[in-house]
Amino acid sequence: MNPEPTDQPLLDVSKAPLPTPKTLAQRQSLPFQFLRFLAFNVRIMRMVIRGHH
Amino acid sequence: MSDVVILGAGISGHTAALHLRRLLDKRHNVTVVSPNSHWNWIPSNIWVGVGEMTTRDVTFPLAPVYQRQGITFRQAKATAIHPQGDSTDARGAVDIESTDPATAGTTQRLRYDYLINATGPKLKFEATAGLGPTGHTLSVCTAQHATEAAEKLREVIAVLKTGRPQTLVIGMGHGTCTCQGAAFEYVFNVDHELREAGVRELAGVIYLTNEAALGDFGVDGMVFDQQGFLTTSELWTSSLFREREVQAIVGAHVEKVEAGLIHYETLDGAHHALPFDFAMLLPPFGGVPLTAYAADGRDISAELFSPAGFMKVDADYTPKPYEEWRGADWPTTYQAPGYSNVFAVGIAFAPPHQISRPRKTANGTVVAPAPPRTGMPSGVMGKTAALTIADRIKNGADAPAHTASMASMGAACVASAGAGLTNGSAAAMTMMPVVPDYSVFPTGRDTATTRGELGLHGHWVKLMLHYLFLYKAKALPGWQLIPE
Ligand SMILES: Cc1cc2nc3c(=O)[nH]c(=O)nc-3n(C[C@H](O)[C@H](O)[C@H](O)COP(=O)(O)OP(=O)(O)OC[C@H]3O[C@@H](n4cnc5c(N)ncnc54)[C@H](O)[C@@H]3O)c2cc1C
Repeated sequence: MNPEPTDQPLLDVSKAPLPTPKTLAQRQSLPFQFLRFLAFNVRIMRMVIRGHH
Repeated sequence: MSDVVILGAGISGHTAALHLRRLLDKRHNVTVVSPNSHWNWIPSNIWVGVGEMTTRDVTFPLAPVYQRQGITFRQAKATAIHPQGDSTDARGAVDIESTDPATAGTTQRLRYDYLINATGPKLKFEATAGLGPTGHTLSVCTAQHATEAAEKLREVIAVLKTGRPQTLVIGMGHGTCTCQGAAFEYVFNVDHELREAGVRELAGVIYLTNEAALGDFGVDGMVFDQQGFLTTSELWTSSLFREREVQAIVGAHVEKVEAGLIHYETLDGAHHALPFDFAMLLPPFGGVPLTAYAADGRDISAELFSPAGFMKVDADYTPKPYEEWRGADWPTTYQAPGYSNVFAVGIAFAPPHQISRPRKTANGTVVAPAPPRTGMPSGVMGKTAALTIADRIKNGADAPAHTASMASMGAACVASAGAGLTNGSAAAMTMMPVVPDYSVFPTGRDTATTRGELGLHGHWVKLMLHYLFLYKAKALPGWQLIPE
């Protein structure tokens, strides 16, 4: 339990989805993340080509 | 021969200067006026603020780069502009005041044929009593501020190690702040540092924001296509807050800060006081104060600048309600009305309105995140103004302007959530366009490019951007191949 003050209007995020152990593992998996890295760069280049005029 | 003067050597001004020098032959002069001797890759200040990088890693001296490129550098701040010239010369001019230690305080009037105002934000800590490094809170807006934040964080970690609980508050220091992405990034970097130090259990970490909901980021939130479901950035962001046990307070306007106590009001009109041991709260941004004078010496600042001090450009500034905002309200050429040789780019231009829905608390206090003008759009605007000016110098003053609107261009926000080549992480978001257009996209933005993803790859992207943009800013071979 973290020592947050209890008298503050803290947002209730208890219904937000939590990642499964598989998702957490994928987020740190080197081969999987390498592919996501490539995908991110493709997306950025698509924005550069399509949007910057 | 033409004189081009650029005010500001940040992301937009420096980009404009490098492109102008590349596009114009040496008969034409390109002059940059900036009060700082160093260039700063501001996004990496987040890592300086947690002690993972130093000022040296994120800055470099500008003078040698400008000398190599054939750009004149004046270490000075602009104080006034004379867009119609003055009684002695019809050419436009800017008044500058040296900030070079050798000549500090001396003033000069510089003539120009073309002017780019790229002076970025004025950090308005004074908008909230007690806010900022001279008050009771920290900042990461400059490398110096970030270094101070890292020192304080080290002290707080040392206290936690003695077993004493500490409360760390990170977020926005006023209801009209922008740049939520930076505070979001900083809070998760701090969370990561606390975990690495083994003291997270004793620390309360709170994100205090003027966003009405998590994931708003000053752009009215986003909708992502995730595994066949349209998911909001609110849900996506809330998931990260839950997973990392970071608490959030939304829709908040910070009223004042006292030693160890933040006073704020929430949308329901309630007033609260939040005790803290460490607080990094961003200030609201205004335009850098410049006075504008007509040829006869009359003060025409109100014609050239918005009340917040940003320079008016080719946007539609007609006041209208949120429901009537359109992408077409946003500027495309960044040319000042009435002056075809004056441009304002990056944070310096006056936006037509916010992107997020503005709100008021039950007491009428404004809680309205200002629209972010992040690195990528700022660089593109700088390049666009440079292309227009180069065309006009080469082909005549009536050559058409190049265009780039925030209603068509994209932006990337890579919020690192911990450094480390194999154990780092980041929330990597891309959006296109920055200003949503519901007439083209049902969700306001293109879901093929608007995406949020968490993982190690985001950290690699952030690191790649750090090295790539420092390389580009140093104008090393092939710099122009790196997109803005
Ligand atoms: C902590 C932090 C993290 C960020 N992270 C990201 C990120 O991850 N991704 C992203 O896209 N964006 C990020 N941003 C936003 C990004 O830094 C800005 O969008 C960008 O710097 C804006 O560029 P600019 O050229 O308008 O202003 P700046 O880069 O601020 O440059 C303004 C320049 O004008 C100069 N100047 C000031 N006053 C005068 C004067 N009177 N006369 C002449 N020159 C003057 C300044 O010294 C400076 O050189 C971040 C911002 C912050 C504060």
